[in-house]
Amino acid sequence: MVRVAAVGDIHMGPDSQGLLRPAFETLPDCADLLLLAGDLTRHGTPEEARVVAQEVRGLPVPVVAVLGNHDHHDEQPEKVTALLRDAGVRVLEGEGTVVECAGTRVGIAGTKGFGGGFVGRSAGEFGEPIMKEFVRTTRRSADSLHAALKELDDEGCAARVALTHFSPVADTLAGEPPEIHPFLGSYLLAEAIDTAGADLAVHGHAHLGSEHGMTAGGVRVRNVAQPVIRRAFNVYRLGTG
Amino acid sequence: MSDPVAHQGPAASGTPAPAENVEYRVAHLHDRLAAEELGELGVRAEIRAGAIVLTGTVPSAQCRETVLRVAHEELAGLTVHTDVVVAETAGPDHAEEL
Repeated sequence: MVRVAAVGDIHMGPDSQGLLRPAFETLPDCADLLLLAGDLTRHGTPEEARVVAQEVRGLPVPVVAVLGNHDHHDEQPEKVTALLRDAGVRVLEGEGTVVECAGTRVGIAGTKGFGGGFVGRSAGEFGEPIMKEFVRTTRRSADSLHAALKELDDEGCAARVALTHFSPVADTLAGEPPEIHPFLGSYLLAEAIDTAGADLAVHGHAHLGSEHGMTAGGVRVRNVAQPVIRRAFNVYRLGTG
Repeated sequence: MSDPVAHQGPAASGTPAPAENVEYRVAHLHDRLAAEELGELGVRAEIRAGAIVLTGTVPSAQCRETVLRVAHEELAGLTVHTDVVVAETAGPDHAEEL
Protein backbone atom coordinates (compact mmCIF):
# COMPACT_ATOMS: atom_id res chain seq x y z
CA MET A 1 0.00 0.00 0.00
CA VAL A 2 1.35 3.39 -1.02
CA ARG A 3 -0.41 6.62 -0.15
CA VAL A 4 0.09 9.27 -2.83
CA ALA A 5 -0.88 12.87 -2.05
CA ALA A 6 -1.18 15.19 -5.03
CA VAL A 7 -2.18 18.72 -5.99
CA GLY A 8 -1.53 20.98 -8.95
CA ASP A 9 -2.23 24.55 -9.99
CA ILE A 10 -1.61 26.10 -6.59
CA HIS A 11 -0.52 29.33 -8.37
CA MET A 12 1.37 30.79 -5.45
CA GLY A 13 2.39 34.42 -5.19
CA PRO A 14 3.62 36.70 -2.43
CA ASP A 15 0.12 36.91 -0.93
CA SER A 16 -0.26 33.14 -0.61
CA GLN A 17 2.67 32.26 1.63
CA GLY A 18 1.46 29.99 4.41
CA LEU A 19 -1.98 29.19 2.95
CA LEU A 20 -1.14 25.54 2.23
CA ARG A 21 1.50 24.86 4.86
CA PRO A 22 -0.95 23.92 7.65
CA ALA A 23 -2.47 21.20 5.47
CA PHE A 24 0.95 20.08 4.23
CA GLU A 25 2.06 19.67 7.85
CA THR A 26 -0.53 16.88 8.19
CA LEU A 27 0.95 14.86 5.30
CA PRO A 28 2.93 12.38 7.42
CA ASP A 29 -0.38 11.23 8.94
CA CYS A 30 -2.06 10.44 5.65
CA ALA A 31 0.50 10.10 2.83
CA ASP A 32 3.91 8.70 1.93
CA LEU A 33 4.78 11.33 -0.66
CA LEU A 34 3.47 14.55 -2.20
CA LEU A 35 3.20 15.14 -5.94
CA LEU A 36 2.95 18.69 -7.34
CA ALA A 37 1.42 18.68 -10.82
CA GLY A 38 2.73 22.00 -12.15
CA ASP A 39 1.53 25.62 -12.25
CA LEU A 40 2.99 26.10 -8.83
CA THR A 41 3.42 29.83 -9.55
CA ARG A 42 1.49 32.52 -11.44
CA HIS A 43 4.22 33.81 -13.77
CA GLY A 44 7.20 31.56 -13.07
CA THR A 45 9.23 34.32 -11.44
CA PRO A 46 11.98 33.53 -8.91
CA GLU A 47 10.04 35.55 -6.32
CA GLU A 48 7.00 33.30 -6.72
CA ALA A 49 9.14 30.15 -6.82
CA ARG A 50 10.64 31.13 -3.46
CA VAL A 51 7.12 31.23 -2.00
CA VAL A 52 6.50 27.68 -3.23
CA ALA A 53 9.90 26.52 -1.99
CA GLN A 54 9.23 27.95 1.46
CA GLU A 55 5.79 26.31 1.53
CA VAL A 56 7.22 22.80 1.09
CA ARG A 57 10.71 23.15 2.59
CA GLY A 58 11.50 20.56 5.24
CA LEU A 59 8.28 18.56 4.88
CA PRO A 60 8.75 15.08 6.36
CA VAL A 61 7.54 13.33 3.17
CA PRO A 62 9.33 13.37 -0.21
CA VAL A 63 8.01 16.05 -2.59
CA VAL A 64 8.11 15.39 -6.35
CA ALA A 65 7.09 18.05 -8.88
CA VAL A 66 6.78 18.94 -12.54
CA LEU A 67 6.49 22.49 -13.79
CA GLY A 68 3.46 23.87 -15.65
CA ASN A 69 2.97 26.45 -18.38
CA HIS A 70 2.67 29.27 -15.82
CA ASP A 71 6.03 28.25 -14.35
CA HIS A 72 7.54 28.88 -17.81
CA HIS A 73 5.94 32.28 -18.44
CA ASP A 74 8.88 34.33 -17.13
CA GLU A 75 11.17 32.13 -19.26
CA GLN A 76 13.29 31.09 -16.29
CA PRO A 77 12.22 27.47 -15.72
CA GLU A 78 15.80 26.51 -14.82
CA LYS A 79 15.81 29.12 -12.03
CA VAL A 80 12.39 27.96 -10.77
CA THR A 81 13.65 24.38 -10.83
CA ALA A 82 16.83 25.29 -8.95
CA LEU A 83 14.94 27.15 -6.23
CA LEU A 84 12.58 24.21 -5.71
CA ARG A 85 15.43 21.70 -5.69
CA ASP A 86 17.22 23.82 -3.10
CA ALA A 87 14.14 23.31 -0.90
CA GLY A 88 14.40 19.54 -1.34
CA VAL A 89 11.83 19.10 -4.12
CA ARG A 90 12.59 16.52 -6.80
CA VAL A 91 11.67 18.42 -9.96
CA LEU A 92 11.23 16.11 -12.96
CA GLU A 93 11.29 16.89 -16.68
CA GLY A 94 11.48 13.79 -18.81
CA GLU A 95 12.94 11.67 -16.05
CA GLY A 96 12.02 9.45 -13.13
CA THR A 97 12.77 9.18 -9.46
CA VAL A 98 12.31 6.40 -6.92
CA VAL A 99 10.78 6.98 -3.49
CA GLU A 100 11.15 4.36 -0.77
CA CYS A 101 7.88 3.99 1.15
CA ALA A 102 8.11 1.58 4.07
CA GLY A 103 10.32 -0.77 2.08
CA THR A 104 8.34 -0.40 -1.14
CA ARG A 105 9.94 1.23 -4.15
CA VAL A 106 7.59 3.71 -5.82
CA GLY A 107 8.63 5.21 -9.15
CA ILE A 108 7.49 8.62 -10.33
CA ALA A 109 8.01 9.57 -13.99
CA GLY A 110 7.41 13.25 -14.70
CA THR A 111 7.18 15.71 -17.55
CA LYS A 112 5.24 18.90 -18.11
CA GLY A 113 3.67 17.58 -21.29
CA PHE A 114 2.05 19.86 -23.83
CA GLY A 115 -1.03 20.18 -26.04
CA GLY A 116 -2.22 18.83 -29.35
CA GLY A 117 -5.54 17.26 -28.49
CA PHE A 118 -7.06 13.83 -28.56
CA VAL A 119 -7.53 11.10 -31.13
CA GLY A 120 -9.64 12.20 -34.09
CA ARG A 121 -9.50 15.84 -33.04
CA SER A 122 -5.79 16.46 -32.69
CA ALA A 123 -3.15 18.65 -34.24
CA GLY A 124 -0.85 16.95 -36.72
CA GLU A 125 2.85 17.25 -37.38
CA PHE A 126 2.22 18.87 -40.75
CA GLY A 127 2.47 22.18 -42.55
CA GLU A 128 4.11 25.28 -41.18
CA PRO A 129 7.28 24.86 -39.10
CA ILE A 130 5.63 26.35 -36.02
CA MET A 131 2.78 23.83 -36.27
CA LYS A 132 5.19 20.94 -36.63
CA GLU A 133 7.22 22.20 -33.70
CA PHE A 134 4.06 22.42 -31.58
CA VAL A 135 3.31 18.73 -32.06
CA ARG A 136 6.95 17.68 -31.86
CA THR A 137 7.22 19.41 -28.47
CA THR A 138 4.45 17.17 -27.17
CA ARG A 139 5.93 14.11 -28.83
CA ARG A 140 9.33 14.69 -27.24
CA SER A 141 7.67 15.07 -23.85
CA ALA A 142 5.65 11.87 -24.34
CA ASP A 143 8.74 9.96 -25.49
CA SER A 144 10.63 11.06 -22.39
CA LEU A 145 7.72 9.97 -20.20
CA HIS A 146 7.69 6.57 -21.87
CA ALA A 147 11.44 6.12 -21.38
CA ALA A 148 11.26 7.17 -17.74
CA LEU A 149 8.39 4.78 -16.98
CA LYS A 150 10.25 1.90 -18.65
CA GLU A 151 13.37 2.67 -16.66
CA LEU A 152 11.39 2.64 -13.41
CA ASP A 153 10.00 -0.76 -14.38
CA ASP A 154 13.52 -2.04 -15.03
CA GLU A 155 14.50 -0.76 -11.59
CA GLY A 156 11.88 -3.01 -10.01
CA CYS A 157 9.43 -0.42 -8.72
CA ALA A 158 6.37 -1.98 -7.11
CA ALA A 159 4.21 0.95 -8.21
CA ARG A 160 4.68 3.58 -10.90
CA VAL A 161 3.00 6.97 -11.25
CA ALA A 162 3.05 9.23 -14.32
CA LEU A 163 3.09 12.89 -13.27
CA THR A 164 2.31 15.59 -15.86
CA HIS A 165 0.85 19.06 -15.97
CA PHE A 166 -1.06 18.70 -19.24
CA SER A 167 -3.71 15.99 -19.43
CA PRO A 168 -3.21 12.62 -21.11
CA VAL A 169 -6.96 12.10 -21.60
CA ALA A 170 -10.10 14.06 -22.41
CA ASP A 171 -12.08 12.40 -19.58
CA THR A 172 -10.66 14.73 -16.94
CA LEU A 173 -11.34 17.81 -19.07
CA ALA A 174 -15.10 17.40 -18.71
CA GLY A 175 -16.36 20.88 -17.86
CA GLU A 176 -13.85 22.68 -20.09
CA PRO A 177 -15.05 23.99 -23.48
CA PRO A 178 -14.29 21.22 -26.01
CA GLU A 179 -12.90 23.85 -28.39
CA ILE A 180 -9.85 24.31 -26.17
CA HIS A 181 -9.06 20.64 -25.49
CA PRO A 182 -6.08 20.77 -27.88
CA PHE A 183 -4.54 23.36 -25.53
CA LEU A 184 -5.13 21.22 -22.46
CA GLY A 185 -3.46 17.92 -23.29
CA SER A 186 -2.56 15.23 -25.76
CA TYR A 187 -3.29 11.58 -26.37
CA LEU A 188 0.44 11.12 -26.98
CA LEU A 189 0.94 11.28 -23.20
CA ALA A 190 -1.68 8.56 -22.66
CA GLU A 191 -0.17 6.39 -25.38
CA ALA A 192 3.22 6.65 -23.63
CA ILE A 193 1.63 5.75 -20.28
CA ASP A 194 -0.27 2.78 -21.72
CA THR A 195 2.71 1.48 -23.67
CA ALA A 196 5.20 1.70 -20.81
CA GLY A 197 2.70 0.88 -18.05
CA ALA A 198 1.75 2.79 -14.91
CA ASP A 199 -0.54 2.37 -11.90
CA LEU A 200 -1.77 5.96 -11.83
CA ALA A 201 -1.51 9.12 -13.94
CA VAL A 202 -1.79 12.49 -12.20
CA HIS A 203 -2.11 15.86 -13.93
CA GLY A 204 -3.39 19.41 -13.45
CA HIS A 205 -3.92 22.35 -15.85
CA ALA A 206 -7.67 21.98 -16.41
CA HIS A 207 -9.26 24.10 -13.66
CA LEU A 208 -12.76 23.52 -14.98
CA GLY A 209 -12.27 19.82 -15.61
CA SER A 210 -13.16 16.85 -13.45
CA GLU A 211 -11.10 14.59 -11.20
CA HIS A 212 -11.62 11.09 -12.56
CA GLY A 213 -10.63 9.53 -15.86
CA MET A 214 -8.94 6.55 -17.44
CA THR A 215 -6.64 5.97 -20.38
CA ALA A 216 -7.64 3.74 -23.29
CA GLY A 217 -5.35 1.13 -21.76
CA GLY A 218 -7.09 1.23 -18.37
CA VAL A 219 -4.72 3.37 -16.30
CA ARG A 220 -6.54 5.55 -13.78
CA VAL A 221 -6.11 9.29 -14.38
CA ARG A 222 -6.68 11.97 -11.74
CA ASN A 223 -6.88 15.71 -12.41
CA VAL A 224 -5.62 17.24 -9.17
CA ALA A 225 -5.85 20.92 -10.13
CA GLN A 226 -6.67 22.65 -6.85
CA PRO A 227 -9.85 24.28 -8.23
CA VAL A 228 -11.05 20.78 -9.20
CA ILE A 229 -10.29 18.87 -6.00
CA ARG A 230 -11.19 21.89 -3.83
CA ARG A 231 -8.64 20.92 -1.19
CA ALA A 232 -4.96 21.45 -0.39
CA PHE A 233 -4.33 17.97 -1.85
CA ASN A 234 -6.01 14.62 -2.42
CA VAL A 235 -4.72 11.21 -1.36
CA TYR A 236 -4.79 8.06 -3.50
CA ARG A 237 -3.97 4.67 -2.00
CA LEU A 238 -2.28 2.31 -4.42
CA GLY A 239 -2.09 -1.41 -3.78
CA THR A 240 1.38 -2.79 -4.39
CA GLY A 241 0.63 -6.46 -3.94
CA MET B 1 -4.78 26.40 -16.78
CA SER B 2 -6.69 26.76 -19.95
CA ASP B 3 -6.03 29.18 -22.72
CA PRO B 4 -8.54 31.90 -23.55
CA VAL B 5 -11.85 30.49 -24.64
CA ALA B 6 -14.08 31.38 -27.51
CA HIS B 7 -16.71 33.81 -26.38
CA GLN B 8 -20.33 32.92 -26.52
CA GLY B 9 -23.56 34.79 -26.67
CA PRO B 10 -25.33 36.87 -29.25
CA ALA B 11 -23.94 40.12 -30.51
CA ALA B 12 -25.66 43.22 -29.19
CA SER B 13 -28.51 44.46 -31.30
CA GLY B 14 -27.71 47.05 -33.91
CA THR B 15 -24.20 47.66 -35.12
CA PRO B 16 -22.10 49.06 -32.30
CA ALA B 17 -18.79 50.72 -32.99
CA PRO B 18 -16.00 48.14 -32.70
CA ALA B 19 -14.61 49.67 -29.50
CA GLU B 20 -18.03 49.36 -27.86
CA ASN B 21 -18.73 45.80 -28.92
CA VAL B 22 -19.28 43.82 -25.72
CA GLU B 23 -17.63 40.68 -27.06
CA TYR B 24 -14.39 42.52 -27.75
CA ARG B 25 -14.52 44.17 -24.33
CA VAL B 26 -14.82 40.72 -22.77
CA ALA B 27 -11.86 39.56 -24.86
CA HIS B 28 -9.84 42.54 -23.65
CA LEU B 29 -10.73 41.66 -20.06
CA HIS B 30 -9.35 38.15 -20.58
CA ASP B 31 -6.19 39.67 -22.05
CA ARG B 32 -5.71 41.99 -19.07
CA LEU B 33 -6.29 39.26 -16.50
CA ALA B 34 -3.63 37.12 -18.18
CA ALA B 35 -1.15 39.92 -18.84
CA GLU B 36 -1.18 41.90 -15.61
CA GLU B 37 -0.12 40.99 -12.08
CA LEU B 38 -2.41 37.99 -11.75
CA GLY B 39 -1.37 35.88 -14.75
CA GLU B 40 -4.93 34.65 -14.45
CA LEU B 41 -6.21 32.32 -17.19
CA GLY B 42 -8.77 30.51 -15.06
CA VAL B 43 -11.50 33.14 -14.85
CA ARG B 44 -14.18 32.97 -17.52
CA ALA B 45 -16.26 35.94 -18.52
CA GLU B 46 -19.37 35.20 -20.54
CA ILE B 47 -22.26 37.24 -21.80
CA ARG B 48 -25.59 36.17 -20.34
CA ALA B 49 -28.85 38.07 -20.67
CA GLY B 50 -27.05 41.31 -21.40
CA ALA B 51 -24.76 41.05 -18.38
CA ILE B 52 -21.25 39.68 -17.97
CA VAL B 53 -20.89 36.67 -15.67
CA LEU B 54 -17.47 35.99 -14.17
CA THR B 55 -16.73 32.46 -12.92
CA GLY B 56 -13.64 30.65 -11.73
CA THR B 57 -11.42 29.81 -8.79
CA VAL B 58 -8.49 32.04 -7.84
CA PRO B 59 -5.65 31.27 -5.42
CA SER B 60 -6.17 34.00 -2.81
CA ALA B 61 -8.63 36.60 -1.53
CA GLN B 62 -6.29 39.33 -2.82
CA CYS B 63 -6.41 37.79 -6.30
CA ARG B 64 -10.20 37.82 -6.17
CA GLU B 65 -10.24 41.52 -5.27
CA THR B 66 -7.89 42.26 -8.15
CA VAL B 67 -10.02 40.28 -10.62
CA LEU B 68 -13.12 42.17 -9.58
CA ARG B 69 -11.36 45.55 -9.75
CA VAL B 70 -9.99 44.87 -13.25
CA ALA B 71 -13.35 43.54 -14.43
CA HIS B 72 -15.21 46.62 -13.23
CA GLU B 73 -12.63 48.87 -14.89
CA GLU B 74 -12.67 47.00 -18.18
CA LEU B 75 -16.45 46.53 -18.25
CA ALA B 76 -17.44 49.95 -16.88
CA GLY B 77 -21.06 50.71 -17.66
CA LEU B 78 -22.03 47.05 -18.01
CA THR B 79 -23.74 44.83 -15.46
CA VAL B 80 -21.22 42.36 -14.00
CA HIS B 81 -22.21 39.30 -11.98
CA THR B 82 -19.34 37.66 -10.10
CA ASP B 83 -19.16 34.04 -9.07
CA VAL B 84 -15.40 33.92 -8.49
CA VAL B 85 -14.33 31.86 -5.48
CA VAL B 86 -11.07 31.44 -3.59
CA ALA B 87 -9.37 28.03 -3.67
CA GLU B 88 -9.95 25.92 -0.59
CA THR B 89 -6.87 25.00 1.43
CA ALA B 90 -8.07 22.39 3.94
CA GLY B 91 -6.68 18.87 3.78
CA PRO B 92 -8.81 15.93 2.63
CA ASP B 93 -10.96 14.02 5.12
CA HIS B 94 -10.47 10.68 3.35
CA ALA B 95 -8.34 8.95 0.74
CA GLU B 96 -9.44 7.25 -2.47
CA GLU B 97 -8.67 3.54 -2.71
CA LEU B 98 -7.36 2.56 -6.14
